[in-house]
Amino acid sequence: MKLTEDDIYRRSTQYLHWSFTAAQLAAQRLKTNIQAAERVKAAVARQRAARALKTETPNASGSENASQNGANTPLPPPDREVDCLTMAEEKRLVDNFCEKALELGDFLKLPIEVTATGVQFMRRFYLLNSPMTYEPNQISRTAIFIASKAEGHHLPVAHYAASLPKTKPEDILAPEYLITQALRFHYEVRHPFRGLKGGHLEMMAMAAGKATLPPNIPQDRDPRALQQAMLELPRRPGGPASAMSEKELEKRITEAYGFASHILKNAALLTDAYFLYTPSHIWLSAHLLADEPLTLLYLSTKCPPSNPMHAKLLTTLRSCAALLSSHHSFHPASQTEEEKAARDKKDQVELKALMKKLRLCRDPDKTNLVKLNQAQKRDAVENGELEENKRKKRKIAREQYEKEADDFFGPSLSKKENENAS
Amino acid sequence: MASTQVALSPRPNPPGPGASKPLPLKSKTLNVDNAKPAASVAASRASTPGLETELDAGAQMNEQVRNRYVIDKKIGQGTYADVFSAHVRSDPSKLVAIKRIRLQQEWENGITMDSIREIRFLSELKHPNVILLHDVFSTKDQKISLVLEHLPLGDLEEVWLKKDKKDPMIAYTQADIKSWILMLSRAVWFCHSHRILHRDIKSNNCLIAANGCLKLADFGLARPFAEPGRKMTHQVITRYYRPPELLYMAQHYGPKVDVWSVGMILAELTLRQFMCPGNTEMEQLNMYCEIFGTPTEETWPGVSKLQCYVAPDKPAAQRGHPKSWWESNFGLIGEDGRNLLRGMLTMDPKKRLSSEEVVKHPWFSSSPRPTKMEDLPTKGKADLKRFGDDLKRHAGELDSGRGDKVARKLFG
Repeated sequence: MKLTEDDIYRRSTQYLHWSFTAAQLAAQRLKTNIQAAERVKAAVARQRAARALKTETPNASGSENASQNGANTPLPPPDREVDCLTMAEEKRLVDNFCEKALELGDFLKLPIEVTATGVQFMRRFYLLNSPMTYEPNQISRTAIFIASKAEGHHLPVAHYAASLPKTKPEDILAPEYLITQALRFHYEVRHPFRGLKGGHLEMMAMAAGKATLPPNIPQDRDPRALQQAMLELPRRPGGPASAMSEKELEKRITEAYGFASHILKNAALLTDAYFLYTPSHIWLSAHLLADEPLTLLYLSTKCPPSNPMHAKLLTTLRSCAALLSSHHSFHPASQTEEEKAARDKKDQVELKALMKKLRLCRDPDKTNLVKLNQAQKRDAVENGELEENKRKKRKIAREQYEKEADDFFGPSLSKKENENAS
Repeated sequence: MASTQVALSPRPNPPGPGASKPLPLKSKTLNVDNAKPAASVAASRASTPGLETELDAGAQMNEQVRNRYVIDKKIGQGTYADVFSAHVRSDPSKLVAIKRIRLQQEWENGITMDSIREIRFLSELKHPNVILLHDVFSTKDQKISLVLEHLPLGDLEEVWLKKDKKDPMIAYTQADIKSWILMLSRAVWFCHSHRILHRDIKSNNCLIAANGCLKLADFGLARPFAEPGRKMTHQVITRYYRPPELLYMAQHYGPKVDVWSVGMILAELTLRQFMCPGNTEMEQLNMYCEIFGTPTEETWPGVSKLQCYVAPDKPAAQRGHPKSWWESNFGLIGEDGRNLLRGMLTMDPKKRLSSEEVVKHPWFSSSPRPTKMEDLPTKGKADLKRFGDDLKRHAGELDSGRGDKVARKLFG
């Protein structure tokens, strides 16, 4: 029996838990957005009530005195409703922070699979959480850190924190459990990189006339005929047949690989591609964008156009390709430099406004993740682990007692300290 | 979705209960949509004033998972993990084991890499001969807990090793050995099909379920196959089971390292003792050279380029044991069995059998047929202490406790 890539993928956590239809994805995001907005409004209201209480007591004359209580954060006027982010705005922000995370990975020279996994961890995290609740900058640093461990790339936290601006190790570690719980402990992300590489090697073999073709391909194609068909491939879809040399063909295949690889390392990571499509859809779509005639010929050797699956597959690939090419990192040949610059500038202005809006609608309870984490650990000791706690307290008391005794009598001659190995 | 049966080995799936994995708890399919009840709880709570610390969605799901299990008692305690016997709250007859990773004093990098690896790989590998990971959750004090299949009948080492004079000797036949090695080989083949190297296969990582089924456990040292050219650490696999290329400090290696370990287990089961219990890495290597002959460029092309390789002084110094030695020591498993054994224990990894070739080996289909797992000899009674000890162990540790510190530096 054979275990196919499909079998393996269908049993992966990525397929079982992190693959969605577009509608499911939108519903999940909307739910998260509504919940977070409610929470922010409630938290701000609580905070205002507390403040009002504090300021009212000394003299009821005016709220100007508030500043003497150390409340110098600029709050919106008390009766104005908090202007929360919409679902689309949240997504826009997350996309942007994912892009920054990618730049961070580049800057730190991390292997692409570490950064890519980290970015997907972030995207998964923000399906269940809102940037209003948890600041994306804090989350992205930790997401990449967790990814480095999941991908087996050793990155000591002290070293990592030191290479980031104004970051201490505890800033990295504080949201670890928060993120890992939201990921539901699924640390495996299936990337399309390996598939692209494999496809590329296959195409090179085809170009050299050495293809190993699957049986039952109804076309009467042998490796030589396939090579010939490749040499005559039109440059553009629907274009005239060309007559390349083997060298030129190899160059063409390598260029397509480079172009597709760039898409996989950018647009594929920064859109919803991983949620909506499988790794093989993604690399084939990227390749389709890179060189359509070549990709279609390659596909036809796997799934001949006469097969009803062919049309279905192509529809999926085209919709995935449309998603990938909608990303601003995608630079189609038809776009001029000025057009691109204008588009980027517009993006920047919009993002700046969004960042400003985000600052005014952050959940005040969740700004300091380090403190929040400490509080959670403290809670655990106070509630759950009473036994443990008692034991520790007793141990401290005993040590204290012994120390006092030692101070008085002098230390005992030989002291065994390994009485409790736990 | 996965209703069509998935290949469990490169040969036709075995019939009967062997193919059916333990009932996955329905909990496993918790997905984002199923989180709806939790989310609505949050929403309703959010609207009640005063409750300021309501949990976010991730923490709620974690709590749901945690509440699904009830801990009965501690069955193992180690420096790396504590192990508990537990049951499913909704169905007390369903037993599980909970492996709770301890916080490491000297580890300051948050959640440990070993636990992340183990969780990562076990979440993807669902096979009747791989220990089943039901769930993962974290406790309030931020310790990670793995909810694992309950495997009460000890491990494979106990089957052949008589540690204590008082221990009863478990009698078994060639057919029984076949059955155990076949189950183990299927598990290894499955890992390799998923491009995962286990890197710590040994008798006491092969646990035995109540129905006699063998389950490969402890994925703390596992990693995906490396991209060609990417370096890996040679400090993996417990010494007795470590293949020669790792002792020569090869930095590029593949799934064949696991096959060597399986070969060692087959040898142990046949000999009823450790095949090569070296006290140091040097001694381990010397034992191999004595049994198999010192490798040379002729017998193992490329070996002289490995970091620790030392060419033998006299070319004919060590020629390895003759065929007769194998026949007299491994009579129990017959000609086919010896073929398989020597195919797995081949010094040159290129010539060593692959895990697929192992599973397809004629030994398994020749007479006597492998024993049905329900009929395999066992210790008879459940031994939770042994189970706890097996799970608490840190990957790469020898049981003697001497602990060759394999795998402390495994970031390669």
